[in-house]
Amino acid sequence: MDAILEVRDLKKDFISEKVLKGVSFAIHKNEKIAIIGTSGCGKSTTLRCINLLEYPTSGEILFHGKNILEMDNINQYRASVGMVFQNFNLFNNLTVLENCVLGQMKVLKRPREQAVEEAKKQLSKVGMLNYISQPVTKLSGGQKQRVAIARTLCMSPEVILFDEPTSALDPEMTGEVLEVIKQLAKDGMTMIIVTHEMKFAEGVADKVLFMDQGVIVEQGKPEEILENPKEERTRQFLRRFIEK
Amino acid sequence: MKIDFTTVWTILQRNLSFFIAGVKWTCLFAFVGTLIGFIIGVVVGGIRAVNIEHTDRPFVRFVKKVLLLITRFYVWVFRGTPMMVQAVFIYYLFKPVFQWNSHSAGMVVISLNTGAYMAEIIRSGIQSIDGGQLEACKSIGMSFFQSLVYVIMPQAIKNAFPSIGNEFVVNIKDTSVLNVIAITELYFQTVSIAGSNFKYIETYFITACVYLFLTTVATTVLNYVEKKLDVAENSNRKMIVESH
Repeated sequence: MDAILEVRDLKKDFISEKVLKGVSFAIHKNEKIAIIGTSGCGKSTTLRCINLLEYPTSGEILFHGKNILEMDNINQYRASVGMVFQNFNLFNNLTVLENCVLGQMKVLKRPREQAVEEAKKQLSKVGMLNYISQPVTKLSGGQKQRVAIARTLCMSPEVILFDEPTSALDPEMTGEVLEVIKQLAKDGMTMIIVTHEMKFAEGVADKVLFMDQGVIVEQGKPEEILENPKEERTRQFLRRFIEK
Repeated sequence: MKIDFTTVWTILQRNLSFFIAGVKWTCLFAFVGTLIGFIIGVVVGGIRAVNIEHTDRPFVRFVKKVLLLITRFYVWVFRGTPMMVQAVFIYYLFKPVFQWNSHSAGMVVISLNTGAYMAEIIRSGIQSIDGGQLEACKSIGMSFFQSLVYVIMPQAIKNAFPSIGNEFVVNIKDTSVLNVIAITELYFQTVSIAGSNFKYIETYFITACVYLFLTTVATTVLNYVEKKLDVAENSNRKMIVESH
């Protein structure tokens, strides 16, 4: 089966350092990939490159076999690859509903009624239907992230990229967001999740990538990587996690 | 050193119609100048906030660069020279072309001058919005222009409202420099009145009081509007507390 997204030898240099030194992997339909690793290992940069929030220094990113770096209309591509951010990044001037409606109308050119209907459907999926007319600035962190997930879902993406979706949340709010993501996974959504929640990664992912210093050190089934890692660096990383 | 209030009263009675005519022009120039200046500021400030993206096609990149250059030049010139000089220069420079009277020229000058300041106010308003919201816009496929219009600019304008209002108050006073091209605003009238009665202290005392009155009214109204903007947020907060 052909991959939805394939990353080939992705490299990204920032001014002072090489952050990605050749990352390659592929994700297929319905697959869930978790990327783990220490802070600064390049896992967030990998996601941001896939969505072109960072422009790769070299390498290829293939979406259904087409290199996105050579695409004419990057915005159409971006609409089909959703992104959920660590800091939610909701539109603070809009209500919960309008946050979910805006992209549908402006990018997908859906008529307003259809956009509203879709928004309500997705908001109810994340349990935020009762808040639709409220300004997003007044929500709790967990609620904000659930709205952000609904906003992404409204664009009917083929893949969703989660960039540490619970790292900015209090522990008691982490659960509600993870539940939503788990449910999406059950529904068959294709997703790449950068996370520090090892238990969650083990429960949701089909495949775990361990990254260190800009390369993928090891990849495989969650139980292989998390319980029985082959590489010393992976073992060190996991040991530190257990100690915490 | 004393002010003779009987003289003040006499001057006011004798020249009331001139003072009123002056106030009329001062208010008109300040108001229209601020309004058009605001519109110019939103456009120019918006352009100045444009980033040249890696994903831009060469033509788009070229247009962006040219626009950035033009707007930077405009702001540089109009903030770097006195409005008095601008007024004389522009009035006479374009007189053969437009065949305009000094009042039209004055309107253009105050608008362009205010526009340059507004552009910087709007630009800093835009910079005060955290970059994450723009990234979120990009990630769902919105263009920079769409992001600016629907998400960034409404927040930037609201944040910058105190500075925007301040420009109006400044303009009430600064219209006085337009007397150099014989615009019959309050200061121009004052010069004429004092020139015929030689009572400089009393005449200028009246004028100072009138300016103070105008700026006080303007400030009071602006403060009220500012508070209203905040009240809107507070009432939302209340609503949420009740709904819990």
